[in-house]
Amino acid sequence: MERQEFKSHISNQLNKNLEGLFNQVLEMGGLVERQLEHVISAVQKGDVALAKEVIKLDKIINHQEMEIDRQCASVLARQQPAASDLRLIIMGIRIAIDLERMGDEAVKVAKLVIKMHSANLRCEVLPGYDALVALTVGGHAMLQKVLNAFARLELKEVSSIFADEEAMDNVFKDGIQIVNDSFKDSDLDAELLLEMVNALRASERVTDHSENIAESLIYLVKGRDIRNMDSEKLQDFLTQLD
Amino acid sequence: MSEQTISVTLDRDARDMSLESEKIAMEVKDWNLYYGKKQALNGVNMVVPENCVTAFIGPSGCGKSTLLRCFNRMNDLIDIVSVEGEMTLHGDDIYSKAMDVAALRRRVGMVFQKPNPFPKSIYENVAYGLRLQGISNKEVLDETVEWALKGAGLWEEAKDRLNENALSMSGGQQQRLCIARAIAIKPEVLLLDEPTSALDPISTLAIEELIFELKKEFTILIVTHNMQQAARVSDYTAFMYMGELIEYTDTDSLFTNPQKKRTEDYITGRYG
Repeated sequence: MERQEFKSHISNQLNKNLEGLFNQVLEMGGLVERQLEHVISAVQKGDVALAKEVIKLDKIINHQEMEIDRQCASVLARQQPAASDLRLIIMGIRIAIDLERMGDEAVKVAKLVIKMHSANLRCEVLPGYDALVALTVGGHAMLQKVLNAFARLELKEVSSIFADEEAMDNVFKDGIQIVNDSFKDSDLDAELLLEMVNALRASERVTDHSENIAESLIYLVKGRDIRNMDSEKLQDFLTQLD
Repeated sequence: MSEQTISVTLDRDARDMSLESEKIAMEVKDWNLYYGKKQALNGVNMVVPENCVTAFIGPSGCGKSTLLRCFNRMNDLIDIVSVEGEMTLHGDDIYSKAMDVAALRRRVGMVFQKPNPFPKSIYENVAYGLRLQGISNKEVLDETVEWALKGAGLWEEAKDRLNENALSMSGGQQQRLCIARAIAIKPEVLLLDEPTSALDPISTLAIEELIFELKKEFTILIVTHNMQQAARVSDYTAFMYMGELIEYTDTDSLFTNPQKKRTEDYITGRYG
């Protein structure tokens, strides 16, 4: 992706390094996005091949996090970036951490699909299935939204992420309740029910990480750290982004 | 985590770095300076906080050295210079007719880009300002020379060679000697004009460390071309461009989240 931000430094080396880093984060985000797409299909279709693909992708994603760390360390050591360039480096590291963890969470859901497949069962039979579908679909949409915003360095879309995350929290709570309630009288193996709890929690964590990325993005673009901002102030701040 | 650790962490988060909360050493109001007809400083307004390091950065010719030299009236030495506006040091009008310029320069010391020790002994270099003030008591001189050399981080290297010619020292040592000479007369403010640009990186770090120590006793203003140096040593940073003060705030904010595009372009090394 070509951006003016990476063309205007006097040091062409810095231009190249920052652009490289930016693209690397986008690429890593793209891989996690693909993982989450696979998770959605794997859960709904019981596609075990896709579930295995999610686990394979995770290895590449882990490697990409290391590569981003290396690039960030190199730019810090060699070029001492400042202001928005410095914020890109710091947030590059942070976003890569969130993406890597999202990848780990996706693997947990994939493992549920594999387990169910081994037990010759479809995920639909599990209590909380609807919540899991809603969480995986919602988590994917949230990631898409923050990655698009990152690609454009625009915050218009970002403000809705926080409400999305709250909605997903509620879906998660309802899903967990359903699974809990079914422990006593379900014919299913308790181990599978526990896997479902794990998968629900993992999908919910994915949405948390999208929210973290949204926070990082706001810091990157505006230089404001909104973590720990009380909800009223946050609301005011987000309204200004629209 | 213990309660104590938590409170320490919160204190650090709540660190209040703002010019409003600082004691003020100097104040500049609507300051203009002209070299003949050419205006070199344009409407500068700022306060210089006490016991802090304030750095001036900006491209060549932006007026940062010119402004620094206003604080102890070094520009008086240039015939074609004229100034307008108000500049005070702890409330005293620096440019009032009643101001004794020699006395002002005792209160506002200066160290230049190139180390410029006198061709005299190390001891005499440091004692020079005191002797000018008429101090001849050997005990007082000895004590002050030791204090100043210690303050300049030079005592251990110099104590056994106080009678040697200062020009036999290395560049970094000579510059610290000049700082010792400047602080020996206990000024209120120390102006540093590119104090490390003629030094190697290790001597530079020694001087930067010294600046950090010296701010406990003095108010320090430093002009530097090296932005990383400004970021390392200063509490507040002023960015100047074409004679104007574009942005002036705490150093962390200026280097992580400048508010003016010109500042951003300059510190990120972009074409302005």
